[in-house]
Amino acid sequence: MTDDLLDGPGEAVGRVLGTADATPLTFWTAVSPGSYLQLDDVVVTRRELPDREPVTIAGVVTQVRARHEGAQFDSDVFAIADGTLPAQVQEAAEVTTTRVDPELYVPPTPGAAVFRAEGDARARALHFDRMERRIPMGMGRDGVPVYLNADFLDGTRGAHVSISGISGVATKTSFATFLLYSVFRSGVLGGDAVNAKALIFNVKGEDLLFLDHPNARLDDPTRAAYAKLGLDAGAFPDVRVYAPPRVGDSSGTPDVSSRLTGVDSFYWTLSEFCADRLLPYVFADADDERQQYTMVVHSVAAHLARYAQPADGGVSIDGVRLGSYADLVDHVVEQLNDDETRGDWAGGAVGLGTVNAFARRLIGSKKDLGRLIRGDLATRRPHSINTAESAQVTVVDLHNLPDRAQRFVVGVTLKSEFERKEKAGTAKPLLFVVLDELNKYAPREGSSPIKEVLLDIAERGRSLGVILVGAQQTASEVERRIVTNSAIRVVGRLDPAEASRPEYGFLPPAQRQRALLAKPGTMFVNQPDIPVPLCLEFPFPAWATRVSEAGRPPSQTLRSITQSADPFAVVGSGSSDDDIPF
Amino acid sequence: MTGPRLFVDAWDPSYGASFEAAPGGPAAPSSAQVDADVELPAVDWRAIGPRPGLRAPDVVLLVDGVRRIDASVWTAEDDGASYPGVAASYAAGVVRCDLERGAAELAGAKVGRGLFTASPSAEEVICGRVRYPVHRVGGAGELSKLPTAVQAPLTALEVEVSDAARTDGDLLVVDGPLRARRQLPRTLGYIKTQHSQYLDARLTAVVTGLRPGERSPVFRLGTAWGGWSWYLRLPVAAGAPWAGIVRLECSAELPPQEAIALADLSLVTLPRFASSPYKDPRAPQNLVPIAGLERRLRALLGDARLLHRALTVATRGRGARR
Repeated sequence: MTDDLLDGPGEAVGRVLGTADATPLTFWTAVSPGSYLQLDDVVVTRRELPDREPVTIAGVVTQVRARHEGAQFDSDVFAIADGTLPAQVQEAAEVTTTRVDPELYVPPTPGAAVFRAEGDARARALHFDRMERRIPMGMGRDGVPVYLNADFLDGTRGAHVSISGISGVATKTSFATFLLYSVFRSGVLGGDAVNAKALIFNVKGEDLLFLDHPNARLDDPTRAAYAKLGLDAGAFPDVRVYAPPRVGDSSGTPDVSSRLTGVDSFYWTLSEFCADRLLPYVFADADDERQQYTMVVHSVAAHLARYAQPADGGVSIDGVRLGSYADLVDHVVEQLNDDETRGDWAGGAVGLGTVNAFARRLIGSKKDLGRLIRGDLATRRPHSINTAESAQVTVVDLHNLPDRAQRFVVGVTLKSEFERKEKAGTAKPLLFVVLDELNKYAPREGSSPIKEVLLDIAERGRSLGVILVGAQQTASEVERRIVTNSAIRVVGRLDPAEASRPEYGFLPPAQRQRALLAKPGTMFVNQPDIPVPLCLEFPFPAWATRVSEAGRPPSQTLRSITQSADPFAVVGSGSSDDDIPF
Repeated sequence: MTGPRLFVDAWDPSYGASFEAAPGGPAAPSSAQVDADVELPAVDWRAIGPRPGLRAPDVVLLVDGVRRIDASVWTAEDDGASYPGVAASYAAGVVRCDLERGAAELAGAKVGRGLFTASPSAEEVICGRVRYPVHRVGGAGELSKLPTAVQAPLTALEVEVSDAARTDGDLLVVDGPLRARRQLPRTLGYIKTQHSQYLDARLTAVVTGLRPGERSPVFRLGTAWGGWSWYLRLPVAAGAPWAGIVRLECSAELPPQEAIALADLSLVTLPRFASSPYKDPRAPQNLVPIAGLERRLRALLGDARLLHRALTVATRGRGARR
């Protein structure tokens, strides 16, 4: 009994308790005097069996407690501290089993020595040894890297990440970008990493516009932390930033305040709006069956697609030249109000009230979408977001846009990306989509075209190589099918009321409590491989997260998208350098 | 106020009374020779308070033992006779109260077990990892006398553990009369229950008139186990005349000055160890460290039901062999 203390996988820290039930899934360990166990420590014990190889039971500490043994009354603590009552301080740790090897679910024997798992034993306990491709996610509480199984991220066996936590302290976006950095730079994707793309929607501040700027506050301890994870500390090398055009600016310059170079504006031309049937994305509830006017939406969209003719940036319908979104809206409303044309646009059996409901909403969208749907800019100017032709990381800035416009951009962008991937038909190259405030785009209640796109991604994206990295303050308000389809669930600091919801059932009670006071940079990550969420700290971003942190901008950002397109390029010359271009 | 004043004894009735007394004082006035003129002349007897400037020693050791009868046994002798016996577990331990550091710890504890019987043929009982060696008792070995036979090995065990824990400048407090432990240096015997009345009525009045934290003058007992002795009243809410009174004794071989010095030391040391009535059924006499020690020692004795079962199984096997 005592000699097995000498040859273990690590330092002996205690023995399995006999005063509380030891079960194969959780057991308590008395901590030996002079040792300690903290939450998240990985421990291992062994159970000898007759006629079989011994069973190794490994687990993670999910609760620790200390108490005075020999004290009967609360006030005895004063007598003990006074030195009059003999008592012993005894610490005990609750261990939640992560691995039983071989899989023979027997309880550990009370009295069996418990060791702190180090090195290979720790990797085995946390199933890291079974992960063929491991993505470093950060450091465990013990300062050793913890990994994510890439199979559950890239769609091999699972996909999608759901990150929940209070805004501001939960560092959801930082973790999402760190995860992307780790995926791209750790080498686990092999050759696919070069072509893998990321599409990031920036919804708050201009935080994500500096991903390609090195962080001026990066210090040596942080560099060392990155090195420990097997990563170089640096900025994202290949980033393209898109921002919406400024309001009322006829030249379509991007609306950003802190980042001045290397930002391209994005918009849709009126002819694209009509031809691609983007009208439903203007409405938040266009697919809601309870709404009558949605019939009109689809009917008008179809009419626009059929009759709108491109005309020098704008469109011409029924011989009327329309040069802006406002013109288009006015024209549509006018046609609907006209008894003669209403039937052509809205269909036959639609009541006037329904048409008015549609018209009211459409007119309301003029202000929000006017700057995104343009008829006054050159058609050939690059303006669309297409990750396949963009840099490795594409950042779409939404933070200046009103709610309706944000939804429109997200919905249309995701739809076109998803359709492009559908047409390509292969999962590779991967596309990671980072979207904060998922509860806004895919709320639990109701239905909308954007939610349909997100649901499509959640349910079919895995096979098409579209990986959704969604973040939200409250997972309970996000469409359940999206959350359940996420193989990886991440929780930062949670709101106390939110933490008690069933969406966080994967957190053991002690971790649920801890999530209430998790500090920035601390995340609990649940992955299908490991039955207990791992608590980790990810390093401070090596890229700038605000303008004050930004170091020297990379040289390519000094070019804008129009400049980066070679004005002297001859059509067709891209095929091969060896060909004579003429 | 008229009529006799009434007080509720602080001790739990199952422990008897702290003062086993006939009307008027402890039972059966002792026949022992008492020399009351040691510290003060008997005519001048009065309560003595703590000596100014005297501090309690940094380290106080308290020794106690517990015993438990695990099973009563009967032997079957070849000649058809039968002797009673008891299988007893006993444990002695010492608490080291480091008052300066504010830490009380178990400085040593030992557990012993034995089969106490007068049977000439009894053999030791082994049940699992537990051994009950035979302690042969002299005389007829009536069942009622056997429990007291456990006291001798227990006392020996107490001496053993307390010897191991001694350091210079400490004070050892032994639970119960010193008896055979008189040769231990700086040692006090601490007697919780007053069975005998050693002093005459006038001197007893001085004892019952003590206020909490006061002691009587030192007197000398002339009994076989006698020695220097004094009474002390522990902190106690106003109560019966004998409430909170304990008797202390030290070795008769000490010169009187040393005995008086020990008496003064006891007065600054012991009151802080007094227990509170709602926590201890024998408060305040059962000192806090002793109570804690007894709990730990009882835990060390092992589970009584388990031992009883083990003994039953072990002896049944033996009976079957015969």
